[in-house]
Amino acid sequence: MTTQTQTIKTKPRDFHKLPTVWNVLFNIIAGIFAIACVFPFIFVTIISFTDEKTLATNGYRIIPEKWSLEAYRYLFKAGDQLLRSYGITITVTIVGTVVSLILTALFAYAISRKSFKYRNFFGFFAFFTMLFNGGLVPTYIVVTQLLGLKDSLWALILPLAGNAFYIMIMRTFFVTSVPEAIIESGKIDGAGEFKIFYKLILPLSLPGLATIGLFSTLGYWNDWFNALLYIDNPDLVPLQSMLMRIENSMQFLLQNTNNPSLGMGVLQSLPQDTSRMAMVVLATGPIIFAYPFFQRYFIQGLTIGAVKE
Amino acid sequence: MGKFKKSYVLTLVLMLAVSMMLSACGGKNESSGASGSGTSEKPVELIWYTIGTPQKDVDKVMEEVSKYTAEKIGVTVKMNMIDWGDYPQKMQVMTASGTPMDIMFTASWAFDYVQNARKGAFMPIDDLLKNQGQGIVKALDPAFLEGSKVDGHNYGVPANKELPAQIVWRFNKNLVDKYKLNLDNVSSLESLEPLLKTIKENEPGTYALAVDKTFGPYVPYDYIIEGLPMAVKVGDPSLKVTNILETPEMQQALKTMHKYYKAGYVPTEAATLTSLTDVQATGKWFTDKATNQPLADNLWSASLGYPIVSKAASPAMIYNWSVMGSMQAISANSKYPEKAMEFLNLLNTDPVLRNMVDSGIEGVHYKKVGNDAMENLPESKNYDMPTFSLGNVMLTYLDKNDPENKWDEFKKFNESGEKAPLLGFNFDPSKVTTEIAAVQNVKEEFWSSLMTGTVDPDKFIPQATSKFKAAGLDKIMAEAQSQLDAWKANQK
Amino acid sequence: MKRIGEFFRDLNKNRVLLLMVLPTTIWFLFFSYLPMAGMVIAFKEYRYSRDGFWASIVDSKWVGWQNFKFLFSTNDAYIITRNTLLYNVFFIIVGLVVAVLMAIVLSEIANKRLAKVYQTGMFLPYFLSWVIVGYFVFSFLSYDKGMVNHIASWFGADPTQWYTDKTYWPLIIVLVFLWKSIGYNSVVYLAAIMGIDKSLYEAAMIDGANKRQQIWNITIPMLKPLMTILTLLAIGRIFYADFGLFYQVPRDSGALYSVTNVIDTYVYRGLKSTGEIGMSTAAGLYQSVIGFVLVMTSNYIVRKFDKDNALF
Repeated sequence: MTTQTQTIKTKPRDFHKLPTVWNVLFNIIAGIFAIACVFPFIFVTIISFTDEKTLATNGYRIIPEKWSLEAYRYLFKAGDQLLRSYGITITVTIVGTVVSLILTALFAYAISRKSFKYRNFFGFFAFFTMLFNGGLVPTYIVVTQLLGLKDSLWALILPLAGNAFYIMIMRTFFVTSVPEAIIESGKIDGAGEFKIFYKLILPLSLPGLATIGLFSTLGYWNDWFNALLYIDNPDLVPLQSMLMRIENSMQFLLQNTNNPSLGMGVLQSLPQDTSRMAMVVLATGPIIFAYPFFQRYFIQGLTIGAVKE
Repeated sequence: MGKFKKSYVLTLVLMLAVSMMLSACGGKNESSGASGSGTSEKPVELIWYTIGTPQKDVDKVMEEVSKYTAEKIGVTVKMNMIDWGDYPQKMQVMTASGTPMDIMFTASWAFDYVQNARKGAFMPIDDLLKNQGQGIVKALDPAFLEGSKVDGHNYGVPANKELPAQIVWRFNKNLVDKYKLNLDNVSSLESLEPLLKTIKENEPGTYALAVDKTFGPYVPYDYIIEGLPMAVKVGDPSLKVTNILETPEMQQALKTMHKYYKAGYVPTEAATLTSLTDVQATGKWFTDKATNQPLADNLWSASLGYPIVSKAASPAMIYNWSVMGSMQAISANSKYPEKAMEFLNLLNTDPVLRNMVDSGIEGVHYKKVGNDAMENLPESKNYDMPTFSLGNVMLTYLDKNDPENKWDEFKKFNESGEKAPLLGFNFDPSKVTTEIAAVQNVKEEFWSSLMTGTVDPDKFIPQATSKFKAAGLDKIMAEAQSQLDAWKANQK
Repeated sequence: MKRIGEFFRDLNKNRVLLLMVLPTTIWFLFFSYLPMAGMVIAFKEYRYSRDGFWASIVDSKWVGWQNFKFLFSTNDAYIITRNTLLYNVFFIIVGLVVAVLMAIVLSEIANKRLAKVYQTGMFLPYFLSWVIVGYFVFSFLSYDKGMVNHIASWFGADPTQWYTDKTYWPLIIVLVFLWKSIGYNSVVYLAAIMGIDKSLYEAAMIDGANKRQQIWNITIPMLKPLMTILTLLAIGRIFYADFGLFYQVPRDSGALYSVTNVIDTYVYRGLKSTGEIGMSTAAGLYQSVIGFVLVMTSNYIVRKFDKDNALF
């Protein structure tokens, strides 16, 4: 194998690699876009460390006149609450992603199989849920009254566990990256369907699984709405929900500044601009590391031969 | 293709099965609810939903409250707080889904009182007030209960607090003193002009008239629905519904606003500004419009950190929305409505209970200094409640910084209020919901740019009016007029 | 009789795969199909009953198509439908092209470490809520403090009031959309590229295909199934607009409504004061049904040409 790569390298023109000009150009395109995406985030971080008064006078500045930790002090006032929220979020995200991956992969694999008689039916069955939903209230009733999940972590995990969009993507991954032949060869070797799925199919579909895993992780991490609906117990409030509550309340109170009672008593205790930016930093900081984790599975070069051995 | 069709049929069958399952569940729920209401001597638990940032010590305080109320009236209390921004939506979902609760906060501005009373979220409390709520009736100015009637019935207990609403101009006193401005003649929008001019000329970078997108100049009209352009003129005995944009007062005010805008007194982007907190923090503003309350100047000065003075811009008037500023309603599905009313009665008449709910446990969250005064202890950060949302505020202990006569001032202020023409009338929009949706969209399109003076009223009022007409404003106005006439006839 | 026997034989033959779909099917029944019964509210004037939700539904008055009327009754109906449709068509096409291009660019960059850094960077906007994005856009476009007007003033240009001038907003909306979504959307394609059997490229190289030919003849065709599926799914949501993008980013500025008002914002504004659940349910149902019809049609067309890539 090594000798082969060496011979390729010695060739005057390597077809496997991009010509230098293009490589530079691609780097520029991707680089500029990446900077455009990262910049606001750095900006958010800077603002979160800016002194509130300075911000009000000068507006957003890349290098503020005066720095301050006040915003974080405000948020850490809640202290153990914040840590607990991190704990809840992490638990829900990990368990949820695993559950969601299992549900997605099993269903998607089955309907990707040409030999599955009901594949069209189940495909449609899943797809239909992407378009039609009964709305908030009926879902609320199913979760709280029928399943009795109010104020439980499952109320944060289960509503997001199934997802027709992920299923459709995953099915496509299975269809394109798993040839029927490999399943047949597995059958000839005497393996059962589950074993084939587990031993042959899953390793071949790592990039797809990683994508769905990533999406699902982010979905759980960013979810605040389910907590808004189903969680009353302050000890079970996940991070994003806690921060969203502050944000929503701020917006709500600002819309009602003309209301005398609110204007007098409540408005003064509102968090300031810097605090909302600090919230973004706290909520996003940790999850950025999830990306590289899943990225590891975007590995090229898994050939079918490699799996069969 | 045949196989394809079969899958639809299958789906259909499945859905049918599902909905049958559903109705079965619904039935089960009902029966279990009915059997739960057995009579026992044990104190009953009242579930209370209220607005505000959830406080850590709520359960702890409610335990104390329950001890007190169990002894007095045989109830215990479970309070659930829902944060400001989430309250309207969460309450809507919970009422629509029939979640068990007994008492809930409602107001004109959060979990809309009139709307939800009409939809059947609350229990009518006319009889309960008579039987279990006499204390409330006695404590309240009659205008509170009269003004919060929906279609002739009361559905909520208003908190005893400031009753009328009065518009004032607030001034940044530092600037007033700096330029030795005379505020004696200030009242109308026009009367501000010389002051604004001085500020504009001498204080670059300061908002002379600090206005954001929620601004609307005061005109002596009472709106049928808050925010929609139909109103009745104050003092007009015929109660004629007019398009507010076509009234001479509003046109005059908008012209003045546009003049101010062009002169640079108003922030350039006022029509999209959501808040002025940044200039309030830096003090780079001169005047703005606010709603008054007795001793408000002190509160404003304290919260902003620099002196504020205010001048009245309108008479104090009792509107529906000011009456419904803070209410407690009894849920339509409450199992113990009588007990709930007994509790509300106690809450609005008993200082011990009221202050416990408001400030927490004596010796833990606050300590008493003098007879009716108290001081917060450090622990109060775990139980910091919005006082106005929890019933009769006039029973609450004074803060040590409050003047002695605080509640007398409130009473005086309440007595000074005149009744707005529509007090007690609530428009029922159910026949014109389609038109309201359309009109609301037109309103949002034009409102803040007109009100902040950003656009020329001579050009935009006709434009807005014709769009309003196309959206069906006339139909809504006709409906409002006929409801209003019927109401008027009933009043006599 | 015979058919029933056949049915059970089929079930038996597919039992393992049926077992695989079972958990998710149960999930769908509970979390999607059960609540669907609530769609009937679209035809009701919903009023609460003290006996709970189902009793409320049963007791509420039937109003036929009344709840749908507000979506069609005014001149705005045309504007919101047009805006929703045009933006979405544009998002689907441009979004697809840019996401695929970006995935290819990222996969071809020689320095893999750098490519990973770019990828992570591109993902960040996904985390910012629309409210925060709205702040950013404002920090660029604000009249007196905004960066764009600052820069314009260096060149001697007059400051523009961006939030009242609707000329540029279609462009701004599209740019903000791309900025926020490309990172997320290109991941799927990137993963798909990574999943392509490497031996295909090796075979092509032996045949002397250059990079461009490899991309054109291997990468793109291999991505086609995914592109088809994702586009079909996007068509299903063509009557739905991202509320935050059209509400928070233009700061709800009335002067921009003719280019920013979409179905979702219209419904939100229209129902603010009446809060009729029936009408919001009706709006959702309308959006879904149109989407459904469009997907079924496009799926039918796809099936005609390319049976393997259709949704079902």
